[in-house]
Amino acid sequence: MTDTLSFSQEISNLLYATEGQPIRTCIQCGTCSGTCPVAGYMDYTPRQMIAMINAGLKEQVLESNTFWYCASCYHCTVRCPQEINITELMYALKRYSIWKGQHKEGLIGPTFSEAFVKMIVRGGRSFEPVLAPSYIFSFNLRGILQEVTNATELLLKGRLPVIPARIKRIESFKRMIGRIIPMGGLE
Amino acid sequence: MKEYAYFPGCSLEKMAVSYHLSALETTKKLGIKLKELEDWNCCGATTYFYIDELLAYTLCARNLAIAEKTGLDIVAPCSACYKNMYFTAAHLKKDVDLAEHVNFALEEDDLHYNGGVNIKHLMEVFAQDVSAEEIKAQVTHPLEGIRVAPYYGCQIVRPQKEKEDVEQPQFFEGILSAIGATPVNYPLKMRCCGGSLIISSRTAALGMVRNLLQCAVDAQATVIATACPMCQVNLECYQQQVNQEFGTNFSFPVLYFTQLIGLAFGIPQKKLGIGKEFISIAPSLLRAGQSND
Amino acid sequence: MEKKEKIGVYVCHCGTNIAGIVNVGEVSTWAAENLKDQGVVVSRDYKFMCSSLGQELIQKDIKEQGLTRVVVAACSPHLHEATFRNACKGAGLNPYLCELVSIREQASWVHTDKVAATEKSKALISGGVSRVVYNEPLEPLYVPIHPATLVVGGGIAGIQAALEIADAGFRVYLVEREPSIGGHMAQFDKTFPTLDCSACILTPRMVQAGNHPNITLLTYSEIEKVEGYVGSFTVSIRKRARSIDESTCTGCGICWEKCPKKVVDNVFEAGMGNRKAVYVPFPQAVPKYPVIDRENCTYYIKGTCKACEKFCPTKSINFTQEDEILNVQVGNVILATGYDPFDAHRITQYGYGRLANVFTSLEFERMSNAAGPTGGNILLRDGKTTPKVVGIVHCVGSRDKNYNEYCSAICCMQSLKFAHLVHERTGAEIYNFYIDIRAPAKGYEEFYHRLLDEGTHFVRGKVAEISDAVRLPGEEGKLIIQVEDTLTATQLRVPVDMAILSVGLEPRRDAKAVAKQFGISCSADGWLIERHPKLDPVATVTEGIYIAGCVQGPKDIPASVVQGAAAAARILGKIQQKEIALEPIRASINEEQCSGCRICNNMCPFNAILFHEDKMVSEVNPALCQGCGTCVAACPAGAISGTGFSNMQILSQIEGLMLLNIKSPKETVPA
Repeated sequence: MTDTLSFSQEISNLLYATEGQPIRTCIQCGTCSGTCPVAGYMDYTPRQMIAMINAGLKEQVLESNTFWYCASCYHCTVRCPQEINITELMYALKRYSIWKGQHKEGLIGPTFSEAFVKMIVRGGRSFEPVLAPSYIFSFNLRGILQEVTNATELLLKGRLPVIPARIKRIESFKRMIGRIIPMGGLE
Repeated sequence: MKEYAYFPGCSLEKMAVSYHLSALETTKKLGIKLKELEDWNCCGATTYFYIDELLAYTLCARNLAIAEKTGLDIVAPCSACYKNMYFTAAHLKKDVDLAEHVNFALEEDDLHYNGGVNIKHLMEVFAQDVSAEEIKAQVTHPLEGIRVAPYYGCQIVRPQKEKEDVEQPQFFEGILSAIGATPVNYPLKMRCCGGSLIISSRTAALGMVRNLLQCAVDAQATVIATACPMCQVNLECYQQQVNQEFGTNFSFPVLYFTQLIGLAFGIPQKKLGIGKEFISIAPSLLRAGQSND
Repeated sequence: MEKKEKIGVYVCHCGTNIAGIVNVGEVSTWAAENLKDQGVVVSRDYKFMCSSLGQELIQKDIKEQGLTRVVVAACSPHLHEATFRNACKGAGLNPYLCELVSIREQASWVHTDKVAATEKSKALISGGVSRVVYNEPLEPLYVPIHPATLVVGGGIAGIQAALEIADAGFRVYLVEREPSIGGHMAQFDKTFPTLDCSACILTPRMVQAGNHPNITLLTYSEIEKVEGYVGSFTVSIRKRARSIDESTCTGCGICWEKCPKKVVDNVFEAGMGNRKAVYVPFPQAVPKYPVIDRENCTYYIKGTCKACEKFCPTKSINFTQEDEILNVQVGNVILATGYDPFDAHRITQYGYGRLANVFTSLEFERMSNAAGPTGGNILLRDGKTTPKVVGIVHCVGSRDKNYNEYCSAICCMQSLKFAHLVHERTGAEIYNFYIDIRAPAKGYEEFYHRLLDEGTHFVRGKVAEISDAVRLPGEEGKLIIQVEDTLTATQLRVPVDMAILSVGLEPRRDAKAVAKQFGISCSADGWLIERHPKLDPVATVTEGIYIAGCVQGPKDIPASVVQGAAAAARILGKIQQKEIALEPIRASINEEQCSGCRICNNMCPFNAILFHEDKMVSEVNPALCQGCGTCVAACPAGAISGTGFSNMQILSQIEGLMLLNIKSPKETVPA
């Protein structure tokens, strides 16, 4: 019996409910990376990611921005000739990265998603303004100004929520979440 | 009278209120009842899957369980909500262990999901529940000469493979033709708008939005029609940022497909949320959908 | 008291394959002691029973100890059943009195627990011993072989097979569905890697086949019905009405010259060119007689025109001609019906059918062919413009779980060939987009190097999409191929004028139906199944039916020729023998017990059961029966038994497996 799992085995285990093939069946054809609308902005293409995982290059994988730039458009997944669910893989890498607390510097994705989750736990529904602090300070001055302008215009058109929404049965909702993840881990 | 449990999703309250208004108005005209799901919670968008899979499924399953109690199928106007709930339902059906875990959590809210709910995207209601003739019958102001770019986006079709052609579907064009508009050949109609990347990887998302806008301009469309709040916001509300980033000059109207249908049905513009856009709609479109306000 | 059989048990070590897990010595001793009551008189173990020495051990015991039954515990019967049966035969014992028990595939190779595997081997041998008592001495069936052969499919494989059999002096019926033989090879321009002109090497064979006194050429014909079994098949062939009198037609061509009705030729010209309603598919057609396409001929649609009849100098047009049914007797059949190309419309992101200048490989072959619709010029769909940049896409519909998982074997070489032809004819810039370059045979890798030398750009990446959505300057009016160059890990947009899709090979749309007619089966992918994937690629499980060429799976021309020749050689061997021996493991129906319910008739996968209307009983044709046992199990009256698999044999083997027959010294025999 094996004692420790290799990095690629750990990632494979995180692809829990996916119906795709295991990533070790990748033939490195490059369809996913040819299709990906964001590949040009990633430091490693999706195909390279899979090769790196299969080769056990854990540090390089976790230090890349590739999976944080995935928009989950699923275009790679429907075209993959080996029927690998590449989008699920990107989700799995995000989960792994947050779990291990290891990711590239300067990425907005990790902090934003944690803020989002906390927001939902609090009220059961999304309330955008509360998310702003998690990302706006990573923008440069121009970016901040753009966001503020946008927010103001949305407000004027009546499209920005002002009062945080909340579901009625929020207490049982919180307890429900507690049965999955202990609340202490999220606060 | 076809009835559905209506899952608006977090954006439709404010951000995409025009979608909400026009969805209710147009379905009512077609004899379809949308009954808002009681005490629904956020579907988790894409973000929940970044944290924990089981939690993400549980969140969606709560909505499914509430809907199951009403005995109605769910209709979601937002592509992300639709995709999340569709696949949660599919996984829960196949994976008995997952269902067990999730139902264990749902117990806390006195809920249990047995696998009996079907999920539809709002556009599927227009494409499948009613025929083109039935839509035409309600059209009083056909959108003659209005060239519409049918922007499907990604999650309304993908990652399902069993349905009608995933790469080149035509059901959106069919609806637009039924209301008298001219759907243009829009090569990037299935490409992603960037979704939440507009927050977490802004430059990348702006690049994607730029391509979509340019393609609509090249296709000589008058308006882009969308089927998802994220797509609409990304395509419309960030055009100024795109212009600043790339030195372009976009000022392209982006509406929800239900707003276009509403205009063709002669429904007053205010009731369709027209006027809440950043970018004013072409006068030609307003003239086409002229009705006593 | 019944005379007991004298059984010899032989346990093989198979080196360490068996002996490494199963304690063969213990098993052999156990058999000697515990199976004595069953009749075991000698039990040995040996390192390699299949060796000459091993076999001689058995033979010695048969002669010296008068053994009447033999049980060999070794590998799977698929491998050495014949070996040991022949050994017994050599010592004078009927070969069917020898049983094999597999303690390798069923014990040592599938278990790691040595004790359990040893106990299991003992049980297996006990089963074999109990069964062999009920074996009957059997004689093989001899069936005569009719010297004529049916070849279905007039492509290169079928032509090769037909010529070889005909040259040896025997009659061949060559049936081809199209108006002319030649198959797909007739459509190609050049062949890789030699760049031989395809028609130039094919047409001499076609002419030979057309003129050969021993070949009866039946073109524009299809198989109606097949009955019979190896050595005596009765085949009825529908010779479709050409509407041309072949006895007077000279093939002068005036009829198709004068015919006013143009039709898009979707078969031979792959939709790139036209033909007339009366036509020969290509100038070198064999036979030379044209055919009237009744679906498109004005006379058959409206009752008017008849231009061909007016102008025919030999009065050979016959509008009232009817289909003819021929019945032929043959001894063997070769199915060589070829392949269909993958339908590129299915991959919508490649734009075939939607974007004008996306072509399939077959369309390009016709374009490149000097006798084709563009006179051999490489042109865009407008028929005028020569492309300056061409992209060739590998693996279209192949190596893709969304379409076909297999590799189509020839497309890499075909794509290289296209690159060369485009380079030669146009001097255009050429891109080949591939996942791997598969160049395995003689001269193939060298051909690839030649292409590298010619300056073809090879981009390792499977094309993601072909689009006309222009984004960057310089892309206007072009097709944009989106791909990742995996070797440099960059996403590319390659603007091209023309894209050629190297589509994969698929089984013919009606391959399954044809296979069913002949009583053979298809694999999950739809290719016809060979008897053994490594050692018997042209025979099938049904005796007398052979397969050759692409019908068995994607392959290049040399491999198709080889398979055609191989099938011919096998058949010639059978014809020479004049009769062949068939395994006597067959089902037989007890007439008295048969109630005539006919349940078995439709169950038989080999169509081997006949029903006698007069006697109201079914009968198994032993020559067609493969001994599968389905009817034996299905018969509600239990009227069918399988020779070599009788109820007594099977039930006693089960008893033996459960060690019910072993009387331990402590047990008392029930009174």
